[in-house]
Amino acid sequence: MKTIKSSVKFFIFILTGLILLITSNIVGELQVYQGSYVLTYGVAIASIVLLTGYSGQLSLGHSALMAVGAYAAAIATNTYGVTPGLAIVIAVLASIIFGYLLGSVVARLSGPYLAGTTLALAVSLPTLANQFSFMGGEQGLMFDVGTPPSRFGESFSLYKWFFWICAVAALVTLYFISNILSSRYGRMFKAMRDNQLAAQLAGINTSQLKIMAFSISSGMAGMAGGLMVMLISGVSPSAFPLSLSFLLLTGAVVTGVYSLKGVMLGGLVLVAMPEIADIIALNVGGSDRLTATLPGFLVSALLNLAVMFAPNGPGQLLNRSHLKKKLGKEINDQK
Amino acid sequence: MIRNNRMKRFSIVSSAVIVGALLLGVAPATAADPGITAKEIKLGMSSPIQGDAGKVYGKLPGAMKAYFNYINDNGGVYGRKITLIHRDDKYAPTLAAKQTTQLVINDKVFAIVGALGTPTHTLAYGSAQLAAKKIPDLFVNTGFSGFDDLVKYPTAFTVLPSYAMEAKVIAKYIKDTPALASLPSAFIAQDDEFGKDSTKGFTASGYKFAVPFKDTFYPQGGMSLDRAKGALTTLNGLGIKLLVLNTTADVSATILKAAESLKLEKKFTWIIGSVGGDSNTMLFLGVSPATIDGVIAASFFPDAKDSTDPYIKQFMTINSKYNKGITFDNVVLQGMNTAMLTVQALRAAGKNPTRAGLIEAIQTKGSTFASAALLPLNYSKTSHVGYNGYWVGQLNAKGELKPVGGTPTIYTTDSKSGPVVVSSFKRAPLPKNGIPNN
Repeated sequence: MKTIKSSVKFFIFILTGLILLITSNIVGELQVYQGSYVLTYGVAIASIVLLTGYSGQLSLGHSALMAVGAYAAAIATNTYGVTPGLAIVIAVLASIIFGYLLGSVVARLSGPYLAGTTLALAVSLPTLANQFSFMGGEQGLMFDVGTPPSRFGESFSLYKWFFWICAVAALVTLYFISNILSSRYGRMFKAMRDNQLAAQLAGINTSQLKIMAFSISSGMAGMAGGLMVMLISGVSPSAFPLSLSFLLLTGAVVTGVYSLKGVMLGGLVLVAMPEIADIIALNVGGSDRLTATLPGFLVSALLNLAVMFAPNGPGQLLNRSHLKKKLGKEINDQK
Repeated sequence: MIRNNRMKRFSIVSSAVIVGALLLGVAPATAADPGITAKEIKLGMSSPIQGDAGKVYGKLPGAMKAYFNYINDNGGVYGRKITLIHRDDKYAPTLAAKQTTQLVINDKVFAIVGALGTPTHTLAYGSAQLAAKKIPDLFVNTGFSGFDDLVKYPTAFTVLPSYAMEAKVIAKYIKDTPALASLPSAFIAQDDEFGKDSTKGFTASGYKFAVPFKDTFYPQGGMSLDRAKGALTTLNGLGIKLLVLNTTADVSATILKAAESLKLEKKFTWIIGSVGGDSNTMLFLGVSPATIDGVIAASFFPDAKDSTDPYIKQFMTINSKYNKGITFDNVVLQGMNTAMLTVQALRAAGKNPTRAGLIEAIQTKGSTFASAALLPLNYSKTSHVGYNGYWVGQLNAKGELKPVGGTPTIYTTDSKSGPVVVSSFKRAPLPKNGIPNN
């Protein structure tokens, strides 16, 4: 299989960062704000790709893992007064620890049992906030990032500052994950996913590997949760509903659950759907209720289409067409 | 270390790009306020349509749109039509934050108006950067006295009297009514700023409940029928005779229905705050008229069913034409009253309003605006709280709130330790055809 050299990969990430930096200075405030969400969702989708696509463990509870990161960040700033940047690091660490514990419990489960357990987690965990006053109950906790650094000037908006933070966090996370996946751990993940017994016979400790996948995936989800709490300026149980887990999983399936390449496209889909729904509702003269329910319908429809026509993402369609052309050329050459 | 020419070229290009990007990033912003043109003023609103809160308050944006459409058909505000863009927040704080931000940066509204809820709007205010962007936040439907913190919420104007004021008025009413003063009492309230603000008011008034506050608080969204039954059984066992509810209307209905199923509804004397004492909603949610009959409730509006009141009559007329199929009730009254205040505020800001001018206009002229409420408006440079008191009445089986003794006694006070006084306030007459001419 063709692999990208690590130095080239590094420069691709640097170049992407530069493009994002330039783009943030050209587009308007709305696009910058939406871009922050695309990057945040992209990180969350990448965490699902790692866990489900590479290590073969289905999780329906990623919204809960994001909630762990979000609450860790908010409590760190509210209770202990740490800086927002450090709070996001704490969000990642707290989520890794939580993921490790969760992975230790669910390592023996697979298939519907694993899905059911993580589903229960997504349902129950955010509501725990109602039981403890330090988590702010239904009202939640505030998360104030403050103003952007003064060196950027007065016209530098807070949304642009959010975007830069999200861009750096997303690029660093994706670079780190892509390196892991192209290392021997990535190959071990794939081996475990494709045939757990064969992987064990080859000397792979699959239990440890599952816990590792859960820990890393949870840390990434926690990062996304930390970024989201920054974007919303606060956290409450309602920010992490069960539907968010399904939405992220849909984003992963739509863009290809076996590859990291499409994660930002997945984030884009999740951000664009409500906007598209608004336009449709406006054009058909729909009610507020139609506007509110249409995004869910569109995402579901897209999920069905993806499963029917491109279960491995849009890249599969391109590859298939490329393969057809290549095969056709070879057959013609033989003739 | 740069190892070859290719990388060197790349790093030079990268540096140039970074410098260019940073220079572009400090380009000056445009000066004009968004959301206003020669023909239109765009306002934004975030409130629930779906969910439990949506069942109760879902009529609010429709009522406001109806009144604005009525004004638009009668010339608008100095020739400008008002467009209200509404986004559903399902009464979820984080969604409210997102929706309010969208109103500001996507819909580019001139001002936010009529946002609903304390937990939702405290988060939304910060998230949408309403203070930093100096965006007027008009007539928020909350009684949380914290919004009167002009450092934290400099552009917000609440419309409801604070929950602390309400608690102080209810405490005075209990103390001044011999039949109630001696009854052992308990206070059921939501465990957030809504309930805590009321607690502050009761504490300031010196009134003592027989059961500690913390024992009867419930989390928002956490009052089920079973929980209500458990609480009422316990309170009845403790010999409590007077129950004061500071709840939303759906929770009031849940508690009263729980009392009905336990046959305790007449064992308690009920006092319900203005938010939860919406009789139409309680009846709609299945509370028996016999249970409603006799409930003591606080309000700052005339009864929404009183079609002899000129404001109510005018709003009912507008509702029947511009909000077809919607029953007129307290929520519709609140929506239309908020819209009428908004029109007056925009007019007070002059023929070419700016965001700063709008805030200034409410601070200096807001206390003189015509309004359906029986209480005075309290806006000034130092206070952004709307009405500053309540009257206390009794509901009948039809859900009508009637003053005890025939004439409502108007109590005014503040959110702190000031006294509760009986006011002689007379509200301004209805502008001709309900169209402000200030």
